[in-house]
Amino acid sequence: MKALTRFVCYLVLVAMVLTACAPAATAVTEPTKASIQEVTLVVWDVLASPGETAIIEKLQTDFLAAHPGVKIDRNAKSFDDMKATAKLGLSSPDGPDVAQINQGLSDMGALVKAGLLENLTPYAQKYGWDKKISGGLIARNSFSTDGKMFGQGNLYGVSPTSELVGVFYRKDKFEEYGLNIPKTFAEFEDILKTLKEKGETPIVAGGLGGLAATHFYAEILNVYLSDRAYLDDLIFARNDQSWDTEVQQKAAEKLQEWTENGYFTKGFEGTSYDDQGSLLENGDAVMMLAGSWWSSTLAASPISEKFGFFMLPPENEGAYKMTVGGTSPAYAIRANSTKKTLAAEYINWMISESSAKVWANNGTIPLTYVDPSTMPAGSLIADLLTAWNTINQKDEVGHYLDWATPTFWDTLTASLEELMAFKITPEEFTMKLETDYSAYLTSLK
Amino acid sequence: MNSHKITLIRQISRLQRNTRNLHIWLTLYGVLILFLLFTVSPFIINILAAFKNNTEISKGVFRLPEEWLWTNFVKAWMQARFSSYFRSSTIVAISVVSVSSLLSALSGYAFARMKFHLSRYLFIVLLLGMMVPQESYIINLYYQLRKIGLTDTYWGLILPQIGMSVCFGSFWMRAAFSEIPGDLEDAAKMDGCSSFDILWRVMLPLVLPAVLTMAVLFFVWTWNDFLLALVMVTSESLRTLPLGLALFQGRYARDIPLTSAGATIVSLPIIILYLTFQRKFMRGVTTGAVKE
Amino acid sequence: MITLAKGRKILRGTASQSWVAYLYIFPSIAIYAYFILWPIIQTIRLSVFDWDGLTEPVFIGMKNFIELTQDQILHQALLNNLLFIPFFTIFPIAIALFLTALLTRKKVKGFNFFRAAFFLPQVMAMVAVGIVWRWIYNPTFGPLNQTLTFLGLENWTRPWLGDFSFALPAVGLAATWVQYGFSMVLFISGVQHIDENLYDAAKIDGANEFHQFWNVTLPGIRNELSVAMVTSIIAALRIFDLVYVTTRGSPGMKTMVASLWLYRNAFQINRVGYASAIAVLLTLIILVLSYVLLSEGSKR
Repeated sequence: MKALTRFVCYLVLVAMVLTACAPAATAVTEPTKASIQEVTLVVWDVLASPGETAIIEKLQTDFLAAHPGVKIDRNAKSFDDMKATAKLGLSSPDGPDVAQINQGLSDMGALVKAGLLENLTPYAQKYGWDKKISGGLIARNSFSTDGKMFGQGNLYGVSPTSELVGVFYRKDKFEEYGLNIPKTFAEFEDILKTLKEKGETPIVAGGLGGLAATHFYAEILNVYLSDRAYLDDLIFARNDQSWDTEVQQKAAEKLQEWTENGYFTKGFEGTSYDDQGSLLENGDAVMMLAGSWWSSTLAASPISEKFGFFMLPPENEGAYKMTVGGTSPAYAIRANSTKKTLAAEYINWMISESSAKVWANNGTIPLTYVDPSTMPAGSLIADLLTAWNTINQKDEVGHYLDWATPTFWDTLTASLEELMAFKITPEEFTMKLETDYSAYLTSLK
Repeated sequence: MNSHKITLIRQISRLQRNTRNLHIWLTLYGVLILFLLFTVSPFIINILAAFKNNTEISKGVFRLPEEWLWTNFVKAWMQARFSSYFRSSTIVAISVVSVSSLLSALSGYAFARMKFHLSRYLFIVLLLGMMVPQESYIINLYYQLRKIGLTDTYWGLILPQIGMSVCFGSFWMRAAFSEIPGDLEDAAKMDGCSSFDILWRVMLPLVLPAVLTMAVLFFVWTWNDFLLALVMVTSESLRTLPLGLALFQGRYARDIPLTSAGATIVSLPIIILYLTFQRKFMRGVTTGAVKE
Repeated sequence: MITLAKGRKILRGTASQSWVAYLYIFPSIAIYAYFILWPIIQTIRLSVFDWDGLTEPVFIGMKNFIELTQDQILHQALLNNLLFIPFFTIFPIAIALFLTALLTRKKVKGFNFFRAAFFLPQVMAMVAVGIVWRWIYNPTFGPLNQTLTFLGLENWTRPWLGDFSFALPAVGLAATWVQYGFSMVLFISGVQHIDENLYDAAKIDGANEFHQFWNVTLPGIRNELSVAMVTSIIAALRIFDLVYVTTRGSPGMKTMVASLWLYRNAFQINRVGYASAIAVLLTLIILVLSYVLLSEGSKR
């Protein structure tokens, strides 16, 4: 009996001790015994993968060397984590001074509306950030002060890195079949046809979850759009635009056509998104229409020199064509932070030319311009940098369509799945999108 | 002559009977084994996959790996941070199990052996807790705990799960204590034992098997919990195994052996616990369900 | 005399026992009330508000509930929950009954082994179950398609989890795989309580194995059957982990379920009030169903 009592008490004690000792991690950080010289900057970012962690730590080390007396308390979170905890953190006096916030109404917009983010326009002018970024990019990080109008007003965030969607391809296969990088959309479709005839899978697709299809559709749509006004209006909820238009139906038709012709991986509906890389590597497909975030995975592959990248070309050579892309979540400053100047310094450091070089050398596209010729010739990163610089300079950075409404992700992915399974027609497809969107517009009024 | 024939006939019919029986037995075992294979093969191929490397995966499911690669487990443990997830799960599970067992014993005893006015109503209130789904309170629990800063802490995982456990626990312990004849208690009382002493020294030892069963069930339920962890935990350092495994997919998804190793690490402790305490498990699950 | 003394002792015991009883129960009730009961009450309260989890909640009366009746995704989700019910109840229970019959009517060698093995899927975390079955259904690398191809049945292969017709059944199969062990163990323990005489009586009446099962075993495990039904139906209505890890509702909402839609609204789309309304609806359905089924079961 006594033994049992002792045992139970011991168990409880062990449990309590373990709990007390374990890092009960919250956003709360250093004790407030900051000396006059020592300042701690609290940073939350979403650079959590091993590769990104290595880069950030290097950049921070350099920053600390240049700013003696400063300490950085950095908490790396996953994308979902950040979405869920940003609001809490930014409302707390112990919260992050700098946080990486996802663009869009439901994330950045909601925070602006709640008055939690600092207006960065003065800093942008002071440090010259506005010279580095195309108008389109500034717009997507801007909101009116009440957080309601997206795409205009003050700047609330600046991102360190960028991304775009395009075609990763197997150079060896292109050589084998005598194919060149297409300059027009028609040439691209010829490539698709040729590859299919040779028994290859032209485009790898991992449709499970719906992400891949959103990029396919958006890119095809971009081919048919001659300027950015229509899409900007749609995403920023301006001028009462509709999704149920001819150009969208044309894009939907094209997507169905490609599916029917068997241009995508067999069984793509049940293949997971993350399998795409393996399939491309194994030679089970020749091209992958996906985002530049794949670059580090492909660069780490044993056959990395076989991968190249090009953007989906416009209808006519050299014409204006947006490319789905954007920036990583943006660094924002907490409105009631007491270290705003330091925070701005941090951000400026993270998007400086020297930091950009570090990102580029590690295979990620930085926001700030880096000369592609400083990278190994013919490398994946050189291709990516060239592409990014082009669209940044020509204001061709396109949109992620699921930003249109808070529920658009569900609507778009579900409808695309139905479209590609031929359960609905292109007209029904655009109608579904429009139903969601117009309901949303109504709710905004 | 006749008796010889009769014996022969008897022998033949016995042989026929035995053959028929044999057929029946063969079919019986055949079907059982078929279902056994169906039940067990996901486990087997998962463990096999954990020992292969990526290229072998596409070659053959039931093929044995060329080399039994322990590296996948090591990689899952270290690089994929499963050691951290394991620690979190352990901390939460042990805390929940120990506290819930203690509290359930106390309240179960009170419900079973003591008379007090609100006994019936309080018991029904607790029973209700067993029937409501997690979904009915998880949303608000999150915001409630956020207000007092318990989200993203171990307490945020431990305390709600204690709350969930004591419902079943009180019910279970009450049933266990009810089985003990009243004379024992009276005898102890006449010996001058205090009420607490009665519980600790006399009653508890008698229901120890039931307590153990309950503790095992608590452990499994807590270890396998996903929704609560998904909602409450955002820091990677606090992730429990199921949460770690689910989110792990995104980053290392193309590495099937690694994922399989991870799934094995998550399940192994429970499987070991289960194989040790089989009987208790089943008794616990079934009697608990029926008594409801 | 002694009785009186005893009686008085007990009475006295009751009075002083009262506060001790409350003391013993207090910790359990307190934790339960704060972490479970109070949030439930708050959820009911929140369901009549519109809240994004950040700014001030706005009272909107029954608007959320009206929206529930128009929400296509919710309707599809509830329909899917309904469609999952056979995979949680009918199939597993049928298999369980079959296995119970096999294991209990004769002395089977390895009884304990089989029973333990069939119950094994029950103890696995649903997340792990989902991860393993997700791989099984992988169109390119997965065991299922590989085996089908190996057996020459290549045109039976499908992109299972992405197929509009097969996604739900595929997830359902994983659920069945988990569930039959539970019912089986339940039924086996029930069978062990059945009076052997009933079987003898049936045999005398000329009943064969099947008739014996139908007329003696089944009625004898009535209680266990109803418990199995109720718990599995509730499990079908609450399914979350499995869907989250395998399909997240794809393709095209064909596997979306109520609890997942609830979660998305509460924590990703930031419509906390609306999600609370869904929670209220789901809980009501579960409680009503439980009550109905349990009273039905005990009546019969």
